[in-house]
Amino acid sequence: METFALSEPVLLVLLSLAEQPRHGYSILKDVESMSGGRVLLSTGTLYGALQRLLDHGWIERVEEHNPARDRRTYRLTSRGRRNLQIEIERMRHLTKVAALRMTCKEA
Amino acid sequence: MVTVYCCLLCLYPVSYRDEFGEEMTSLFREARNDLPPALLAKVSFYRREFCGLLSGALGAHFDRLLRPAIPFRRFYMQTQFRFPRSTVFLMIVVFAGVVLTIAKASSVAGDTSGSALRTLESALFFVLLTMCTAAAVVWGILHIRRRSGVHRLQNVDS
Repeated sequence: METFALSEPVLLVLLSLAEQPRHGYSILKDVESMSGGRVLLSTGTLYGALQRLLDHGWIERVEEHNPARDRRTYRLTSRGRRNLQIEIERMRHLTKVAALRMTCKEA
Repeated sequence: MVTVYCCLLCLYPVSYRDEFGEEMTSLFREARNDLPPALLAKVSFYRREFCGLLSGALGAHFDRLLRPAIPFRRFYMQTQFRFPRSTVFLMIVVFAGVVLTIAKASSVAGDTSGSALRTLESALFFVLLTMCTAAAVVWGILHIRRRSGVHRLQNVDS
């Protein structure tokens, strides 16, 4: 996996794009609904994350026939999907370890 | 408020603004139109947006300044990368140099007199100096070529 720290906003943006290609506002709303209203991204944070993900080749812009500069659509690349999968596996392992530790503590 | 937002966008680097500026402004407008009427929600939204914008601008400037200094990017090899042909020649020269040095060192190891050691030291110093000079000349040529844009002109179809 590439050395790229996945903060919570970045992870949520990736998860949002994993389902389908989206534009900025759609990502904002999806992140809000995924986190149950806990994570509210500002436009500055969102585009900071999008720029980093574009730079690393994890996401790309969808080529459109009549592209509007103020509403562009982004989608996950195969590299992004692969790295997201690795991150999810890592989190799954961590959750399993955490559950085991908590069980030991309670016993 | 959109005007204030646009003014704050000027804090970002120009390249960033060109790439995302319009999109960010449009998104801000859309999100603002979607706000609930409660005053608290509005205040919270503007605080979040302006703080996000300021920290984002700072981050974008840091990224821009630090990016060329990150050593790993330079050595990140693309799959389509090919070494130039001159690399083979240079590697052979380096290999020959290493073999000769080992041979010389072996002969000196048997010779206990100090004169041979001094000869080797001066020879090594001379070789080092020559290599540094050659490297400086090559770097200078590459730098001038890059600055003058000669390598870009080669890609232009006439």
